[in-house]
Amino acid sequence: MATYLVSVLNGLAMGALLFAIALGLSLVFGMMDVLNLAHGAVYLVGAYIAVALAADGASPAAFVLAVLLAGVAGAVLGGLLAGLTRATPHHLDQALLTLGVSLVVAETLSAVFGNDVHSIAAPAPVAGSVTVFGETYPVYRLLVIAFGLVLAAGVYVLVERSPLGSLIRATVADRGMVSALGVNTGRVLVGVFAAGAGLAAVGGVLAGPILGAQPGLDEKVLLLALVVVVIGGLGSVRGALLGAVLIGQVQALGTALLPEYASFLIFAAMGLVLLLRPAGLLPARAAVHA
Amino acid sequence: MKAASRTMTSAADRTQAVDDTRGRPAARAALVAVPVLVVLTAAPLVLGAYPVSTMTRILAFAVLVLSVDLLTGVTGLPTLGQAAYFGAGAYTAALVGIHLTSDALVQALAGLAAGLVTAAVTGWVAVRARGIVFLMLTLAIGESVHQVADTWSAVGASNGLAGMPPISLFGGAPLVAAGFVYWWVLAVAVIVYAAVALVVRSPYGRTLRGIRDNEPRLRALGYRPALARYGVFCMAGAVAGAGGALWAAHTRFVSPGDLGFEVAALALLSVVIGGAGSLWGPCLGAALVLLVRDNLSASIGGHGPLVLGLAFVAVVFLLPRGIAGIRRRKERLS
Amino acid sequence: MIVLSADLRMIRKSTPVLVFMAAALVLSGCAGSSLDQSSGTQSSGTVKIGLLVPLSGVYAPLGEDMSNGFKLYLDQHGGKLGGRTAEVVSADEGEGPQTGVPAAQKLVTQDQAAAVVGVVNSATALGLRDFFHESQKPLLIANAGADDITGARKSEYVWRTSFANGRVSAALGSTVAKEVKGGVYLIAADYAAGREMVAGFRKTFEAAGGKVAGEKYTPFGKTQDFQPFLSAIRGSDAKAVYSFYAGAEAVSFVKQYQQFGLSGSTPLYGTGFLTEGGVLDAQGEAAVGVKTSLHYSTELDTPRNKEFVAAYRKAYDEAPTVYAVQAYDAASVLDKALGSAPQASGAELVKALGAVGTVDSPRGQWSFDADHDAQQKYYLREVRSSGGAVVNAVVSELS
Repeated sequence: MATYLVSVLNGLAMGALLFAIALGLSLVFGMMDVLNLAHGAVYLVGAYIAVALAADGASPAAFVLAVLLAGVAGAVLGGLLAGLTRATPHHLDQALLTLGVSLVVAETLSAVFGNDVHSIAAPAPVAGSVTVFGETYPVYRLLVIAFGLVLAAGVYVLVERSPLGSLIRATVADRGMVSALGVNTGRVLVGVFAAGAGLAAVGGVLAGPILGAQPGLDEKVLLLALVVVVIGGLGSVRGALLGAVLIGQVQALGTALLPEYASFLIFAAMGLVLLLRPAGLLPARAAVHA
Repeated sequence: MKAASRTMTSAADRTQAVDDTRGRPAARAALVAVPVLVVLTAAPLVLGAYPVSTMTRILAFAVLVLSVDLLTGVTGLPTLGQAAYFGAGAYTAALVGIHLTSDALVQALAGLAAGLVTAAVTGWVAVRARGIVFLMLTLAIGESVHQVADTWSAVGASNGLAGMPPISLFGGAPLVAAGFVYWWVLAVAVIVYAAVALVVRSPYGRTLRGIRDNEPRLRALGYRPALARYGVFCMAGAVAGAGGALWAAHTRFVSPGDLGFEVAALALLSVVIGGAGSLWGPCLGAALVLLVRDNLSASIGGHGPLVLGLAFVAVVFLLPRGIAGIRRRKERLS
Repeated sequence: MIVLSADLRMIRKSTPVLVFMAAALVLSGCAGSSLDQSSGTQSSGTVKIGLLVPLSGVYAPLGEDMSNGFKLYLDQHGGKLGGRTAEVVSADEGEGPQTGVPAAQKLVTQDQAAAVVGVVNSATALGLRDFFHESQKPLLIANAGADDITGARKSEYVWRTSFANGRVSAALGSTVAKEVKGGVYLIAADYAAGREMVAGFRKTFEAAGGKVAGEKYTPFGKTQDFQPFLSAIRGSDAKAVYSFYAGAEAVSFVKQYQQFGLSGSTPLYGTGFLTEGGVLDAQGEAAVGVKTSLHYSTELDTPRNKEFVAAYRKAYDEAPTVYAVQAYDAASVLDKALGSAPQASGAELVKALGAVGTVDSPRGQWSFDADHDAQQKYYLREVRSSGGAVVNAVVSELS
């Protein structure tokens, strides 16, 4: 029993990371109808920033610096991608463009950091383990869960309770109407793109002690993020959260309960959800069309 | 609903410009096709074994890309799952070659049947959706089939299926030289291309393009788009399966990587580069993508993905309608 | 009239297409004929050797090491193999047979290499077997470990200077049976290599009286979180764990083995790749105490190895790995074989390879056995902290 409870904890940690990464992707898709396949590469940029600054886990200050730097780098990349994808209104073109950008970014990171697997140590004060449910459990993962809760709360307050949030939700629902009200939706879109990408890069730093940094990690993370976004519902913040928690649990608890089918679980879950609810679990409410 | 309809209109915008199958007599197409066929057929007589081998792989991959174009360009269903049916066809042809017969025709038909059956079994799940959801579902199907191939010992698991003897035709001697295999693959590829082109020009093809352009209107006219989508999905699966059999006939070795995500993504990208919906454009896109990945990457010390990435970005900005759209643009400007 | 000019316009418009295609064909180059099987021979002054290693993708670090090892041998022998100047043609094996097989075909049919060295991926090696057998050119495998390469799918043209999965893991079986009082849990990545490693270990382990407490395979290349499996290990009554992972999964597994509290209570054994090269650097202190079996360690205390390690460090500013040694030995084997193969044709070379005899390698002395595999010593290594770094100290030789 304790094993499964620990797996649930693990699932929550993964879910927290996935939420941070998938949120930007979901909003960008829902709001701008942009298929951003470079999201995984942005995550990887964050992970390598952590490698460059905080790989040995000696000082928490270096780790915090890595988080901030990753946020900025991600935001810059996000703004760049927003500009590039503005010029290409069609999905397939966006797929091609963002995939091209992601290949270039990933190759540049390989050229700079080499092809080896890099591991990142958790910052020294929190690198140890504690006993949870009778089993040894790394402290760092508990912190990641805490981060996830804080992020979820913060995003909820921002999106549901603030004017900026209502602006974002309105732009997702009906961009034309918002634009007609005199708001520069272009700036809103670029802002959301940059914020989402910044958050993904921060996710890369935070996931560093758990997932490390290596070429090819961006594709794996992108795939998981896409699954989360599709399950949760495009453009929906609550959907991204639910999807992230669900996928985190499928990966962790699912592997514990059904280890023989571990490789099929994610897609089986996605297939099941999409069969029952093709628009996702908590789709963003769209405006009513004439 | 909104996202789906936006997807459909954008797909329609993109492909209408290159959709030149309306009002274009078949004679004109033949006029271009004949010199192309002559050049392709003459290739083994002037080129060495390695270039001909490369062209064989391009042709087999182009058949896969054709099936993706049938779904994505003609019917408006972007797919990342065709590699699964390609792989099913390849593995089936390899198994037939190892255990039953080295007759290439039997292998090709077996591959086609395998692709058809696999698509029929998995397709009913996918065709209920559209747009990005359809894309993700086909990705899920593709990855699941890939996993099965990677762990099933009957097909060699992760080591792949090796030891397939060279193909033979109509009871003749085994074809070992690259040139003869190339001619067989070319013949089948041309037949498959012609068949797909016929379908696209037929009334059924018009239904498919109607689904891509405006499905609600089609339904209002009394058509059954769901059935049509399922039909084209199975057809595309059969085409991909045939491509897989051709691939196996050439490489004589099938491994799980042949039906992985990379192959599916490269096929979809070939379609976009070539110009979705035009059938011949994606074949050129397939050639470009394979040449860059295999031939160029060796000469630049393993930085193939970088060049591929830059090529993708360049294509989006320089060739917004794909290679097939160049002609259209020129016509518009004149 | 109008129709005719329209047709001419059509042909004109299709010329870009034809030019494009023709250019693409020409770019591929032309050599030899595609309507028969030809195998060229070398001129007497130089010999072309194809080096097929991953230059991109997941296995690139191994490819780099192998390339370094091969080139080091050449540098130490004036760039000559068998008395002739060696022209090394590199090709990118990539991540699997999709890129590896065409690259090998290019080396043989287009670049006319006399022999090809390298190959990390087992599926690629198995896929290339027929091609090299029919082209009658030797393939010297300097890493791929699938048992079938020198087993069910062996060929007179395929030779291996590295290892076989079943054998390198079997070497550890009796030692673990002796050292561990209780059940041993077997866990590996779910792909051919993982299964062959476990099968090889299990055979000698159970033959020496060992008891298996459980056996699990984790999804290959997809597992970042080993916690459910580690919890299952803790839940069983296993007193030790035998595992096989490589690359990123090895890093994750060993680190999480320590994070989830198993490293103190349950000793971890494995096949050497679990703690080799870049993987060990990434694992750091978490790997201390892990015991593995492998045919090489940088800490081997022989004059030959010390000389090799010093030369490698001087040339490349890092410690060598087993992959570098495997490629280095492939070069030395080719050197000997080419010395007695004046025409450097395939048939001559394989005869000469059979007569190479004992190879004096940094890993010790070894020779080819009847299946063209490396008959060699295996060492029990333990990861120890030494002078701020972690290394694979050699504990003993495994019989």
